This record gives sequence, C-alpha cells and structure tokens, in this order.
Amino acid sequence: MSGNSSNSVIQAQKLVDQLRVEACMERIKQISLTAGDLVRFCQDHRRSDPLLTGIAASSNPFKDKKTCVLL
Amino acid sequence: MAADKAEMDVLKKECDGLRTQIEAARKGVNDGNMSSAAGSATDVGRVQLKLRKSLKGHLAKIYSMHWASDSRSMVSASQDGKLLVWDTHTGNKLVAVPLKSAWVMSVAFAPSGNLVASGGLDNMCTVYNIKAASPKTLRELDAHTGYLSCCRFLSDTEIMTASGDTTCCLWDLETGKQKIIFTNHIGDCMSLALSPDENTFISGACDSLAKLWDLREGTCKQTFSGHTSDINAIQFFPNGNAFVTGSDDCSCKMYDLRSDQEVITYQDASLNAGVTSLTLSNSGRLIFAGYDDFNCHIWDSLKGEKVGVLSGHDNRVSCTGVPADGMGVCTGSWDSFLKLWN
Repeated sequence: MSGNSSNSVIQAQKLVDQLRVEACMERIKQISLTAGDLVRFCQDHRRSDPLLTGIAASSNPFKDKKTCVLL
Repeated sequence: MAADKAEMDVLKKECDGLRTQIEAARKGVNDGNMSSAAGSATDVGRVQLKLRKSLKGHLAKIYSMHWASDSRSMVSASQDGKLLVWDTHTGNKLVAVPLKSAWVMSVAFAPSGNLVASGGLDNMCTVYNIKAASPKTLRELDAHTGYLSCCRFLSDTEIMTASGDTTCCLWDLETGKQKIIFTNHIGDCMSLALSPDENTFISGACDSLAKLWDLREGTCKQTFSGHTSDINAIQFFPNGNAFVTGSDDCSCKMYDLRSDQEVITYQDASLNAGVTSLTLSNSGRLIFAGYDDFNCHIWDSLKGEKVGVLSGHDNRVSCTGVPADGMGVCTGSWDSFLKLWN
C-alpha cells in the first residue's frame, strides 16, 4: 500500500522545504552585538518603565484613594 | 514500497545536511551570551510590588485576560461562561458578556476598544461588539478543527488565532473568512504574539518549538528550539528583535531573532512548576511569569536572575499582562481572582 509511505514522503519533503528556507537566513549579527542592543534598549528605556522606577502614591492609578473626612 | 523508502532516505539525508548547516551558521555568530553583555547593565535589586486591588467577580477558573489600549479597561475570561470587562482604576465591572460555550481559553481586546474576542474548546473565535447597548455577537469564526488557544486583534477588521489543530490563522472580520492559514507546527499551537510593527508574529506550540512568521506572506521564516516541553506562553521584547517563551519544562527562554538562537534561559532548581503565562515590563527589563506553583515570579531579563515574586493567589496563575503605559501588572488565576500589582 503506497498510502502511508506517500504521506511520510510528503511530510519529509515539507520539512526539507522549510529547512531550505531557514538555512538561507542571513545570520549577520554576532550575539555579542545583538545582546548589546537589547541591553542598550533596556538602559535607554529604564526611566520610562514605572515598574522599575516606582510610582508615587498620588499618581498611582490602582491604589485605592483614601478619603479625608473633616470632623 | 522500495521507491518510497529510497526517496525517504534521500530526503532524510538532505534534512540532516540542512540541520547541520543551520547549526553551524548559528554557532558562527555565537561569540558570547546575554549574561556577559548584561555585565554593564545597572542592577535592578529586589523588585517588591504591592497588591493594589483584588478583582472579585468570576465564579470559576480564570483562563485569560487582556488589557485594552487605554491601559485602564481590561477583559477577563472564565470557565464560569463569562467575559468581564473591568475598569481597573475603580475595580468596577463595566460589561458582562455571556458565552455560548463556557470552555473559554483565550480572550482579546481590539486596539480600538470596541470589540473583544474569545474562544476555547468550541474551536471557534467569537467576536463581540461591547460598545452596543448590550454586547452583540459580531462574528463567529468557525474553521479551526481544534481548540482556540489564543487570539489577537490587528484591528477591528483583522484577527489572528492560534489553535490546537496546530495552525494559526489570519481572519478577515468583514467577511468572517480565513485570509491566511499558517501551517508548520507539528503540535498544538498554544500562544501567539504580534511584532510591534505587525509585519510578523511568533507562535509557541506543544512541539516545544517557537516559530517566526511573515504575517502577509504566510511563510514560516525561522524556527527556534531549546525547550523540552510544550511552550505555553510567548511575548516579544519591546524592540521586536527578541522574544521570551514560557514552557511546561519549568523554564523561560529569550531567543534573539537576528542571531537565530536562544540567548538566555531563566530557570531555578527550586522552581519545579510549569510556566503558564508571561508578560514584560515596558523597558523589557522585567519578565513576569505565571507558574503552576500559584506564584508569578519576576525575572531580570538581562541578567537571568529571579528578582521578585507576586504571591497571593490560591491556585495556578493562568494569565498575566502589563498595560501599554506600564503602570502595573495584572495576574489572573484559577482561584477566580484577578490581582493588580505595582
């Protein structure tokens, strides 16, 4: 029966086709450089990351505001 | 058949050859790793976030949540058969959407704030208009042959879905039809994330692989391996050049797109629970990962160290999200609560 083996052949051909596409990718940048870019991005955006810098109680949108009662 | 076997042997040989070629190319650019580059980054110290609100309303396990673009509204989905839209500043519920099928696994907010989508074991993605007087079903996207694990809007007219049928799909909401079907995974697709420029997207699946796709051409451009079990969660690093995955193998990994490989693994000997969900802070420095151990652990994405934990849930943390303004983290759990921290 050629049914099952033909299926395997089709699957294998698909895998080879995909690997050919991926093998053609130009991996131009060294990890040391791409990692450096990621580090630089984090450092550059440090100040606009509220979870790193902290949030003042008065400008914290999620903090329950306590109401003042004048006695 | 002899002819088939001969053909299989040729293909296998070519396959092995290509794999070796790819590995050699990856090794060629591997001249260091993230930890060494991160030596120059400032330390983040202990990250101690406080619980600001506990949102009560769902009656069963929460499976998914998603922030609206206004960083104030948020939608959550529970297997109690409801979607709830919350005003996170007041803690009030704005809209309740009753679901036809209670077995929901994913929910998404459209960038416009007009629509939400959900789906799960019904194999469908249903889109609702929540700005109408009462929530109105806009579309039922029915073509997947497996459960809907994740959905993400590109706009009010296009949505991406990931499914247990191993495919991802781009739909046209005006016609309700599939535009592009992305096939290449050999395991259930569990999660997807759109790149900041929306030209590509990444998917994580039960075949333990992550894949990068061209959104318009429908082709798989890169495949990333390394995990040893299902990838449940995937998110882009904010500059779009890297992404982070979370897996049942109890680790998270960062993969770099340009060098085509894993650059750091986030794991700890004391952490023996699978990762269910993850989200990044606005600068990309902090990773908030939800685990089966009822906690959301915080990782320093550059140095690979655990820098904090969000404890408080009484069951598995199933979903996490940071809003666009980065002002907090939301965690959702099987304990039926959503918690807001900052």
